Amino acid sequence: MSTDYITSPIVQISDMVKEFPTGDGAFRALDGVSIQVDQGEMVAIMGPSGSGKSTLMTLIGLLDTPTSGRYILDGEDVSSLSRLEQARVRNRKLGFVFQNFNLLPRLSAVQNVELPLVYGRVDSRQRRAQASAALEAVGLGAKLHNLPNTLSGGQKQRVAIARALVHNPAIILADEPTGALDTRTGAEIMALFRELNREQGRTIIVVTHDPEIGRHMDRVIGLRDGRLAENILSEYYGVEVFERVEREHGLEPVPVPVRRQGEASRI
Amino acid sequence: MLKEQIGMALDSLRANKFRSLLTMLGIIIGAGTLVAVLSLGNALQSSVFEQFVDLGTRRIAVEPGDPRAKGARDVPGYGLLSIQDYRVLEDLAAARPDLFRTVVPEVAVNTEVRAGTTAIRALLVGTSADYPEVQTVPMLAGRFLTAADEADGARVGVLGYLVARDLFGAEREALEAAVGRSIEVNGQPLTIIGIVDENGGPFSTDGRVFAPVSTVRLRLVGDLDLPGRGLQVNSVLLGLTSEQLVDPAEAAIVAALRSARNVPEGAINDFEVNTPTQALSVLQGINGAITGFIALVAGISLVVGGIGIMNIMLVAVTERTREIGVRKALGASDGDVLGQFVLEALALSIVGSLIGIAGAIAIVVLIGAVTGIGAPISWSAVAIALGFASLIGIGFGFYPARRAAMLQPIEALRYE
Repeated sequence: MSTDYITSPIVQISDMVKEFPTGDGAFRALDGVSIQVDQGEMVAIMGPSGSGKSTLMTLIGLLDTPTSGRYILDGEDVSSLSRLEQARVRNRKLGFVFQNFNLLPRLSAVQNVELPLVYGRVDSRQRRAQASAALEAVGLGAKLHNLPNTLSGGQKQRVAIARALVHNPAIILADEPTGALDTRTGAEIMALFRELNREQGRTIIVVTHDPEIGRHMDRVIGLRDGRLAENILSEYYGVEVFERVEREHGLEPVPVPVRRQGEASRI
Repeated sequence: MLKEQIGMALDSLRANKFRSLLTMLGIIIGAGTLVAVLSLGNALQSSVFEQFVDLGTRRIAVEPGDPRAKGARDVPGYGLLSIQDYRVLEDLAAARPDLFRTVVPEVAVNTEVRAGTTAIRALLVGTSADYPEVQTVPMLAGRFLTAADEADGARVGVLGYLVARDLFGAEREALEAAVGRSIEVNGQPLTIIGIVDENGGPFSTDGRVFAPVSTVRLRLVGDLDLPGRGLQVNSVLLGLTSEQLVDPAEAAIVAALRSARNVPEGAINDFEVNTPTQALSVLQGINGAITGFIALVAGISLVVGGIGIMNIMLVAVTERTREIGVRKALGASDGDVLGQFVLEALALSIVGSLIGIAGAIAIVVLIGAVTGIGAPISWSAVAIALGFASLIGIGFGFYPARRAAMLQPIEALRYE
């Protein structure tokens, strides 16, 4: 059985607090959040604006340091690393996909994909081979040498996804990956994520406010006002709304898992 | 990694060609000035050296000893030089070609010089055809003495500028027309074969009339011989192969003359040896001051160029904050980002200084071709310009680069 593999935790965050200084005292963006993400999971972090979901994302991505709390990534305690060690961990274990793609405009698709390997000191021949393979895997094998501005939005996001997985990271972090795309292209990108998750066993964490995306995840981590919120999909957006929208589009309503009070929380 | 970063740096220069060029302007001008001025300065200085000072600094003059000096011996004709001493020095020069290029006698007599009804007093100097090798003699018209004149005891003379002017007037035509005319020196006829142009300074020829030694001795002046020693000589000029050899040359001269003149052990020299050491050190001092001043000006220009680079690098860091965020998210360390931006500043300053140096070389070659000054490119100036510009690039690039490196990844990523 593959249960051992599936249940081994990749991200273990406990009691994480992040405060930002403001004019009138510290603003607590995250207030004692504890989460766990297992290997091979595809998880959404959802919540309204100001809920702290982006803050949580930046802390998981080691792009910022928490005020307090413990963070174990892939078995390594990364709670209090130096800036250099943080950079090394980002380079080896994390892959980022951003809402606005964040491709470097003067580099070709394949050069963009090579960037994590450049900083990983991989030699140029192997770099090129890995980057080409990654672009091949996201269906852009024919666009290796295109500059970003010659690619469509969906293609740009595919390049970004190739860049996020080229160095074989422990997790891929996607921040509103469909936010700048039209509905159809967004669906294609989410399908690609799902494919990478199912076929390559990639662990993927997506930050989104789109319930349509949330519903297709293995699990949703809900946040409100810096704290975990259970059943964020049904409670915040409302199950009835989905059902109405789905009926309008002539679709069969998909049941949303609503957790009852008192049930042991996985979150 | 370095290869990638150099690629990135050059790429970013190409991305903003015009801005890069403007940024580099200060460095271009600074490096160009440094190379051009130092090259031309060297050339100018060496041509000045050749024309005026070089001969003066590369010769030793042997002159009569002072009979009133402390320790002077009480013998008749003490200290005077004669043709015999000249021969001794001639032999010395022949034996030591590594030290001496040439030996030239000067037999000087104050005389009356007359052209038509004008008469003036001037110093008649009997010398040899080699005189221009120990003294700069820029000819205004005609030619200097030759070996044939000396052999023939020809009645020919060369006038210094002031003598010629006093006799014939300052107009160039008049001076040129004077060549070929006859004058009287000590009542004896002498044909003017050349006029020396004005050349002031400590070794000036302006007030002199030059004639072959044989002519002076046989035809112009009465008996100039010292009893039993032959023709009296006022001084003997020895041209050196290099100004570096003043000390060994002086020692050789002193030894040869003491031996020939039978100077007893322990007695002072009964002749004087004038070396150009002092003139040389003054010259070197002036030279150093000028070079230092030029270097200072060019250095200031380079520093100003460096400030330009710092300015534009600060702009670049602001403009590319998001790029820095992306690179950091993908695993670039602070050191990687620091290296990238320092290299970019370095690339600006190196490319700028190369452009400036190329321009300077073109200008120097052009000026050399037009004016005929042989101006060799000063490769040490090129090296200094390049090295200094690199230091400036690193120095002024460091602060903006460090600002880029210390950005928090998330703040950089969110920067609008």
